[in-house]
Amino acid sequence: MSESRQITVSKTGVSKLAILALAIVFAAGLFVVGFDQGHVFSLVYGEQAYTDLYIHELTHDMRHAAGFPCH
Amino acid sequence: MKTFHFITIVLISGAFAGLIHGTVNFAIVEPYLDQAIGIENQNLFESGEEEDSPQFWVEYEGYRVWQKSGQILAGVILGTSVGALFGIVFALSRNSLPGSNDVKRALILAGIMWLTLYLIPFLKYPANPPTVGDAETVVLRAALYISFITISGIGAIMFYKLSRKFKNRKKLVSIIGYGIFISAVFFVMPENPDEITAPMNLVNEFRFMSVLGVSSFWISVGIILGFFWNRFESNKDTMQYS
Ligand SMILES: [Zn+2]
Repeated sequence: MSESRQITVSKTGVSKLAILALAIVFAAGLFVVGFDQGHVFSLVYGEQAYTDLYIHELTHDMRHAAGFPCH
Repeated sequence: MKTFHFITIVLISGAFAGLIHGTVNFAIVEPYLDQAIGIENQNLFESGEEEDSPQFWVEYEGYRVWQKSGQILAGVILGTSVGALFGIVFALSRNSLPGSNDVKRALILAGIMWLTLYLIPFLKYPANPPTVGDAETVVLRAALYISFITISGIGAIMFYKLSRKFKNRKKLVSIIGYGIFISAVFFVMPENPDEITAPMNLVNEFRFMSVLGVSSFWISVGIILGFFWNRFESNKDTMQYS
C-alpha cells in the first residue's frame, strides 16, 4: 500500500459515497420530523395533503418534544 | 471497516437511540402535551371556535391517538436522521477524539454535539408545548432555530480546526473562543416573537422533560455506535490506523 493511500485510510476509514448517503438520510429525516408541513404527501396526493397534514400529525408530538418550532 | 458495515451500524444505532428517545418522550413528555392541548381545547370552546360536544371529543381522541403513536415512529425517523449526522462526524473525527476505546470517544463526541447543536440553541430558542406557538410565525421561528444550530455547529468546527494549531493547554483558547463567539451570536439573534400565554410552570416542566428526552438520545447514540464500532473495527485495522 502506498503511503498516501495509507494516510487517506487512516484519516477517515470511510468512503465519500457512504458520507453522501448518510447526509441525504440526515437531511430527509430532519425535514420530515422537524419542518415538513405537508410537502412530502403533496408529491403524491397533491394539494389535499396540505389540509390533511398526515405526516405533520404523526410527527407532531416529537416535533414539540425535540424542540422544533410548531404551534 | 467496510462501507456497508459503516452505513449499517450508523443507521441501526441512530434508529435504536431514536426508539429510546421516542419511548422516553412517550412516558415523560406526553402528559405535558396532553395538559397543554387541554388548555388549547378550553380556549377553543371559550372563543366559540369549537363546541364542547361528544363529536368534538371523538374527533379529538382520534387524532390524539394518531399523534401519540407517532411519537415512537417519529423518534425512529429523527434518530436515524441525527444518528446519520453523528456517524459522519464520528467517522471524520474519531482519530482526534480523546478516549481509550470507541465507546468513550463516541460519548465525548455525542456530548459535544449535544451541547453545541442542542443545548446552546435550546437556551436561546427553548422547546414549547402546544398552544404557545403562533402559526403565523412558524416559518420565521424555524428559520431562526435552524440558523442558530447551523452557526453553532460551523463555529464549533472552526474553533476545533483552530485548536489543532495550538498545543496542549493552549487548546483551551479555542474553547474560550467558541464560548465568546456563540455568546455574541446568542445576544445578536432575534428573540422568539411569540408571547407565552400558557402557565409558566407547565412550560418549564415540559421543557425540562424535553431536555431529558433529547439527552437520552445523545447518550444512547454514543454508547450504541461506539459499541458497534469497537466490534466491527477489527484489531488489524486498528493497528494499521495507529
Ligand atoms: Zn404543534
